[in-house]
Amino acid sequence: MSAGPATAAGPVAAPLRPGRTWTAAYDIRLALPLGAFFLVFFLAPLALLVLVSFYADPAMTRFGLDQYARFLLDPFSLRVLGATLWLGVEVTALTLLLGLPLALLLTWAPGRLRGLLTLIVLLPLLTSVVVRTFAWIVILGRQGIVNAALLGLGLTDAPLKLLYTEGGLVLALAQVQLPLMVLPLVTALSRIDPNLADASAALGAGAWRTFLRVTLPLCLPGIVAGCLLTFAAAITAFITQSLIGGGQMLFMPMYLYQQASSLNNWPFAAAIAIVFLVAVLACVALLNLAGRLSGGRARA
Amino acid sequence: MPLHRRSLLAGALTLGAAQAFPGLSRAQARKLVFATFTGSWEEAHRAVLVPAFRKNSGGDVILDPMLSVDQIAKVQAARANPPIDVMLHDPGPALTAIAQDLVEPYPVAQSAHYGDLIADAQEPMGPAPFFQIVGLTYNPEKVKTPPTSWADLWKPEYRGRVGITNLNSTLGTGFLVEIARMHGGSETDVEPGFKALEALKPNLAAVAANPGALAALYQQEQVDIGPGNFNAIQILKARGVPVEFAAPKEGIIAFKTTIHIVKNTPSKELAFRLIEAALSPEVQAKLMQSPYLIVPTNRKVAMEGEVAKVLARDADELKRKSVFQDWAAINRGRPAWIERFNREIRV
Repeated sequence: MSAGPATAAGPVAAPLRPGRTWTAAYDIRLALPLGAFFLVFFLAPLALLVLVSFYADPAMTRFGLDQYARFLLDPFSLRVLGATLWLGVEVTALTLLLGLPLALLLTWAPGRLRGLLTLIVLLPLLTSVVVRTFAWIVILGRQGIVNAALLGLGLTDAPLKLLYTEGGLVLALAQVQLPLMVLPLVTALSRIDPNLADASAALGAGAWRTFLRVTLPLCLPGIVAGCLLTFAAAITAFITQSLIGGGQMLFMPMYLYQQASSLNNWPFAAAIAIVFLVAVLACVALLNLAGRLSGGRARA
Repeated sequence: MPLHRRSLLAGALTLGAAQAFPGLSRAQARKLVFATFTGSWEEAHRAVLVPAFRKNSGGDVILDPMLSVDQIAKVQAARANPPIDVMLHDPGPALTAIAQDLVEPYPVAQSAHYGDLIADAQEPMGPAPFFQIVGLTYNPEKVKTPPTSWADLWKPEYRGRVGITNLNSTLGTGFLVEIARMHGGSETDVEPGFKALEALKPNLAAVAANPGALAALYQQEQVDIGPGNFNAIQILKARGVPVEFAAPKEGIIAFKTTIHIVKNTPSKELAFRLIEAALSPEVQAKLMQSPYLIVPTNRKVAMEGEVAKVLARDADELKRKSVFQDWAAINRGRPAWIERFNREIRV
């Protein structure tokens, strides 16, 4: 999955000046250690995974496309895939909605406040995902902070079911992944020349118009990068999905784990992993493309 | 000979590597790795079993707690050089591990304690150092009359209050078989069990991903009643969480938890010593005390305290009150049940 977010940096990186080739600018051999690392610890295991997925039976005795047929021709498995990708979309949308104002605030804030806000944004990254997820169990539970507040205000008679629901899961994931959205956004926003906003205002545009026509298009690379990171992290968040979503809400990571660990069906688990990988890469490519297309229009 | 920068660097790197991977130079001296279970088991084993083992062998041991299925996956991936020396298994995974040739037969003839184990615990491929017990767990502050039967879970007053786990765990699978049996089914026919689960849906507050997550839900008062492991709740009880165990009149579900020497381990002798310590009456008697309350299998250990009060006064009574399920049959049906549970049980 790590390959996805890495390509996201593509559009953000400054293009090389024409006339200078790669080898002249950077010695390609500098990348050899990383290349070797990738070959041994990423590509080789991935090749093994692909190989295992082509075994026809759980005992791994003969080859065939049985596992892929089993997944792709089964409406239930496809529904699990769809639900997982949809979960990613929901979390990404909510994270963007929460993250964009926060990133704007961070960019506009004066020096000292900015440092404090950055710390607050980074703080969740310094705590383990397990700890953050358990905090959400406490917040969303029947005796949790949300329900206690609602009951106390008389807004509800009985505690609402928030834990083990999709809404609760989306909320928890959005908080857990928020830094992944905010950091690329802040980078993109802080790179925009403040003179552009002044020029827009001088030409008679209101604050909203300036935001929609100038700021938003210019920080699009940041939005795309943030969305890619959040999406990839949300759909693969095994711990948060199983602790907040519970044992009956099945998403791809749990489906995969169940087949591999509980059922010892490695070929089917491998096939699930490959299908998931391809589906995620397709989503990432689509998002990248959308970003590039709309970016092109904004510049035109 | 003049020292070149390059040869110095190479020398430094070699030294550094030897420091970083001490296993390279002394592969034989590695510590014994025991994959216990997470939670209260790990605490109990760290406090009681590890010191006893150190005393009887002089060796050292690392506890690497993980689920049975994950132990199997790890050993399977490195059969020739297993990362674990001693495995601990629920009955289902134990059969899988034996069938896949991942464990050594236990050297019964050399064992000082094997013959003292009650008959059900004597397994030549890996003896049972303790039993796990599944019954009903409930929050006594919310459930005023203690439950007496599995059937109590279907009472309308527990609407939205019941918590179960999915079939990934021994607990969830054992519960399904038990409610199937209650409605005329068996290990080979769980159809009535699925019907009963369907009828339980209005009462379900949560289907947890594993028994540990389920136990935590009592603490959050997200659930008030459900099937539960006798030992999993003790750690909560000891910390003041209102949760109690009740034996259903249909019988408590008893699982043998077996301990195995991993095939191809470089430390076979130490592994044997650790298991001997786990079977010894001294260790089992200590593990039976509060807060661990682990059910002993050595006949020389007299049942006392909470175990005697809530479960059974001796091995014979335990056997009378318990249901030992047929896990060979369960293992055959389980993949299909998990599939079905995935599809049908949506709350």
